[in-house]
Amino acid sequence: MPDDGREVVRVRGVVKDVRPGLGLRRKRILHGISLTVHRGEIFGFVGPNGAGKTTMLKVLMGLIRASSGRATVLGHDVGETEFRRQVGFLPENPYFYDYLTGREILRFYARLSGVRAAAMDKRVATLLDWVQLSDAADARLRTYSKGMLQRIGIAQALIHDPEVVFLDEPMSGLDPIGRKQIRDLILRLKRAGKTVFMNTHILSDVEMLCDRVAILVAGRIRFQGRLEDFLDGDERESDVVLSGLPADLASRFEERYGAELRGHGTRVELRVKEKEVADLLRAALEAGAEVQSVTAYRISLESIFMRAVESAEESS
Amino acid sequence: MISPLRIWVIASNTVREAIRSKLLYALLFFAILLIGTGVLVSALSYVERERIFQDVGLAAIRLFSVGIAIFLGVGLIHGEVDRRTIYTILSKPISRSEFLVGKYVGLVLTTWLQLAIMSVAFAAVSFATGAPIDLAHAAAIGLTGIEVMVIVAVATLFSAFTTPLLSSLFSVGIYMLGHLTRDLRQLGAQGDVEGFGTFTVVIHRVLPNLESFNLSLHAAHGLPISAAEIWLPVAYGIGYAAALLCVAAYVFERRDFR
Ligand SMILES: Nc1ncnc2c1ncn2[C@@H]1O[C@H](COP(=O)(O)OP(=O)(O)OP(=O)(O)O)[C@@H](O)[C@H]1O
Ligand SMILES: [Mg+2]
Repeated sequence: MPDDGREVVRVRGVVKDVRPGLGLRRKRILHGISLTVHRGEIFGFVGPNGAGKTTMLKVLMGLIRASSGRATVLGHDVGETEFRRQVGFLPENPYFYDYLTGREILRFYARLSGVRAAAMDKRVATLLDWVQLSDAADARLRTYSKGMLQRIGIAQALIHDPEVVFLDEPMSGLDPIGRKQIRDLILRLKRAGKTVFMNTHILSDVEMLCDRVAILVAGRIRFQGRLEDFLDGDERESDVVLSGLPADLASRFEERYGAELRGHGTRVELRVKEKEVADLLRAALEAGAEVQSVTAYRISLESIFMRAVESAEESS
Repeated sequence: MISPLRIWVIASNTVREAIRSKLLYALLFFAILLIGTGVLVSALSYVERERIFQDVGLAAIRLFSVGIAIFLGVGLIHGEVDRRTIYTILSKPISRSEFLVGKYVGLVLTTWLQLAIMSVAFAAVSFATGAPIDLAHAAAIGLTGIEVMVIVAVATLFSAFTTPLLSSLFSVGIYMLGHLTRDLRQLGAQGDVEGFGTFTVVIHRVLPNLESFNLSLHAAHGLPISAAEIWLPVAYGIGYAAALLCVAAYVFERRDFR
C-alpha cells in the first residue's frame, strides 16, 4: 500500500464516461485525473463551470463509479462504507428533508454516523452554534433560506467530527459575514489537524485558505501544487503610490516600466516588478515626489487560472 | 456488515415523514368515510345487512392499504435521488442496501399503522351496528398487511431505478395480474392457443400470487380458516418480499447518482 498515513486522498487515472440521453454515444467528463491530498492540508479544487469538479467529488463520495482508475480516501476504496465515519461531505446546493427542524436533521445525521447518544445533544448544539443557527434550530427546514440550508449542510458534514471533509462550493449562497464565518470554520478545522478538500471557483477564498490547489479545465488537471510555488519568483510585483510626480517623469516611468499610470488627481499608482522598486523610488524622491505607499502585489491565482483556461483552449 | 441500527434510523425517519405529511390524513379520512359508507349501503338492504357492510368495509381497507402502498412506494427511492437528499445520507457510513431496506421497512410500518387505524374504525362501526366480529376478520386484515408488504416491495424495486409514473404503471399492473394469475393459468391450461398456456404458467410462477392473501370470503361468510391458510401465505409473502428487496438492492448498489 503506497499510503504512508499522510496521503488522505489518492486519485490515480480516474476516467468518467457518461451516456447522456438514450444514445450509445459516450461523453468523457473526466480524462484521467490523478491527485493527492495530504493530511492536514486545505486542498483547493478549482476550475471553470462544467470542468468536472462536482463529478470528481461524486466519485470520491462513491455516488458515481469511475469508468476506470482508482480512488482511495484514508486508504480505503471509495466504494466502501464503514470508513465514512471519518468523512464529511457538503454537496453542491444541498437539500434536506424539509419536514424536519434544524436540530432534528442534525440528530438524524449524527445517529447515522454513529455518534453516541450520550454525546449527541451537546454535539448538535455545538454545531448549531458554529454555523450560527442556534436561534432557528427548532424551525422546520422548509422555512430556511438558501444560506441557512448551506449552513445546515456544513453542520451535517462536521457533526461526527470527521478526519477529512469534502466541500462542494462551501461559500455558495452565503452573505459576506457568513463567508467570513465559514472561512474561520475551515481554518479551525485545519488547526485541529483535519484535512479539507474544497471545490470552488472563488479564487480569493482559495488564496486565503488553501495550501495546495489543482486547476481542472475540461476534465483535465492543468496545474497541481503548492500555492506559493505558483505565486513565487520573478513574477512578484508591487503597487507603488506616488504623489507630486512631475509630468515628464511620469511619462518616463510609463515607458520604462511598461506600467500604466492610474492617476487620481496628483496621485499616481504604478505596478512594477519587485526588484525594480528601489530604483523607481530613488528616481521619484530625487524629482521631489512623495511616496504614499508600497504594497506587495502577488500575481494572482486569477491570472494563473486564466492562463490555464486559455492554454487548454489553444491545445484543444 | 448490515447494521439494524442504521436501518432503523432510516425506517423511523420514513415513518416520521408520513406522520408529518397532511396528505396521508386526507387519505385516511376517505378510507374511514368509505368504511362508514358500508353502513349506509347495508341500510338499503333488507337481508344480510351486517354482511354487506363488512364486505364493503373490508374491501375499502384492502383497496386503501394497497393504494397508499403503491402511491407512497413508487416515489420512495426515486424521490430521494431526484431531490438529492440521498447525497448526504450516503456520505455517512451507511450502505445503499441498508438505506433501501430502511426506506422499505419505514413504508411497511407506515402502511401497517394506517391499516391499524382503519381496522379500529372498522371494528368500531361493526360494534356500533351490532355486526359480529371474529378471528376471521382479524386474519383477513392480517393477511392484507402481508399483501401490502409484497406490494411495497414491488413498488420499491421499481422506484430504485425508474420514475414514479412508470413505477406506478408497473406496480398497478403487477397488482392486478397478481390477483388474476391463478385464473389466468386455468384459462391458459384450457385454451389451445400455442404459447398462451406457457405464458400464463410463467406469469403464475414469477408474479406474486396475491389471491392467497385474500380471506375476505372466509371473513364475510364465517367460513373456518385452517392454520395453513394463514401461515403459508405469511411465509410466502415474507419470502417473496425479501427476494424482491434483494433484486432492488442489487440494482440500486450499481446505480450512478447524477
Ligand atoms: N447527468 C449528467 N449527464 C451528462 N452530463 C453531465 C451530467 N452531469 C454533469 N454532466 C456534465 O459533466 C460536466 C462536468 O460537470 P460538473 O457538474 O462536474 O462540473 P463542475 O466543475 O462542478 O461545474 P460548476 O462549477 O458549474 O459546479 C459538464 O460538462 C456537465 O455537462
Ligand atoms: Mg460543481
